Amino acid sequence: MTRGAPATLEVRGVHKQYGGKSVLSSLSFDVARGEFLALLGPSGAGKTTLVRCIAGLTVPERGEIRLDGVNVLELKGRERRRIAVVFQQFNLVPRLSALQNVLAGRLGHVPSWRGVLRRFTRKDQLLALECLDRVGLIDRARQRADTLSGGQQQRVAIARALAQQPDVIVADEPIASLDPQSSAGILELLRDISRNDGVALVCSLHQLEFARAYADRIAGMTAGAVVVDVPAGQFDDSVATRIYGLGLASAQA
Amino acid sequence: MTHNDAARRALEAFEREHSGWSLNTLKHWALAIVLIVFFAGSWQLAQVDLARLASGLPKLWFWLSQAWPPKLDELPVFLLRTGETIAMAAIGTAAATLLAIPMAILASRNITPFPKLYYPVRWFLNALRGVDSFVFALLFVASVGLGPFAGVLGIALHTWGSAAKFIADYVENANLGPLHAVQTTGASRPVAISYALLPDVLPATLSTTLYLFEFNVRASTVLGVVGAGGIGHELKNSMDLLDFPRLATILIIILIVVTAIDQLAGWLRKRLVGP
Repeated sequence: MTRGAPATLEVRGVHKQYGGKSVLSSLSFDVARGEFLALLGPSGAGKTTLVRCIAGLTVPERGEIRLDGVNVLELKGRERRRIAVVFQQFNLVPRLSALQNVLAGRLGHVPSWRGVLRRFTRKDQLLALECLDRVGLIDRARQRADTLSGGQQQRVAIARALAQQPDVIVADEPIASLDPQSSAGILELLRDISRNDGVALVCSLHQLEFARAYADRIAGMTAGAVVVDVPAGQFDDSVATRIYGLGLASAQA
Repeated sequence: MTHNDAARRALEAFEREHSGWSLNTLKHWALAIVLIVFFAGSWQLAQVDLARLASGLPKLWFWLSQAWPPKLDELPVFLLRTGETIAMAAIGTAAATLLAIPMAILASRNITPFPKLYYPVRWFLNALRGVDSFVFALLFVASVGLGPFAGVLGIALHTWGSAAKFIADYVENANLGPLHAVQTTGASRPVAISYALLPDVLPATLSTTLYLFEFNVRASTVLGVVGAGGIGHELKNSMDLLDFPRLATILIIILIVVTAIDQLAGWLRKRLVGP
């Protein structure tokens, strides 16, 4: 998978309201290709809303989200394929096989009739199988998605994102429904993808320890704004206190 | 082995499986043939004859042209009969719902106090649902005599089965987490059910009752044909007398009333299941 010159996802002054209440207020940060940015912050800080804005599932009232200088908020239809999304609840099509779910990642690349008839070229099938192999599930290719375990389903979802050949992957608490062991595997996989494929990765998390172990940078959010943005190594308890308040730092100590 | 090689090997294995006459292709063809034979047979049995339709349509058109203008002199009678139809549907549906609640509890695998009765109750409800109101009404006309009461009984019996099945399905699909949580507070089972499960399934139950009422108003317009009262009785008389203006008047009344009740019940149901 070849890539052009390194580019950046730039989030600039994004503002989002729900029912008169601001959820995101003039929020800004950058992520470079090959970089893993973890978003931390208490529930209600706006992490999910931010991820949904980048993913194009919600449109902010103000601000820009640029990818290679292009405002992604104006991208429509198949242009959206440059940004892949990994969800907390995996969101696989339950009655389709793992392989067919991964092939969904090709829908932004192929003509519509191929999508409707689920007839993909040999090249796309090979690519999808390669993606499944990268997440370690090639032997489950034809198993129905809803018969896989949670960790396996999230791996298939990541393979789907990979098959999309994206420039950016946004993940909304991808490990919140998984046990610690599967969680570590998923984050390792995401980190390797971001490094090897030069993908800019934005991943919201609830577990500080996981963020420290896997992310390159950590952005801390409170009340809809990024209040801390530091390399993962510098994210110590005093920084954690700034986003979570005093309770957490003492509880983790 | 690279990912590329693994993918190629896997795909080749799938393709080998799919080449030639696999069991799956055979199954698909067999299914296609069965479907074709089934529909060809049905076409024969149902005596579909498009030529007869072509020759019959002008006759229907002639009747329709005779039906205008509608006859309004018997309007009071028609309205009384329509009132009978609505009353039959209302009493039949209400009685059926009340009878359905205990049956629904017995027919819900997750909360029934008598699991042994689960299947017998389900079979009983299926039997009730399997026999149409029309057929029940026919039997009741023979036993309790002509008139709307036979219609009420017919509607009630058939709807009893449907209502109980719907409610039981809601209960079986309900999330039992809250029920278990309330039970752990020390509440008895009946109290826990009424406290945690009832608020969950009540809106859907009421909405279903309204839907069944709508359905029964429509269904009971024809009960008069077998002598079980209501507007259908007048409908049959008109047809027997080939009095098309009278027939048209009745059809228009039925259309207006059924539409009005559908709208009203639909509006009520939206309000019930809303947040």
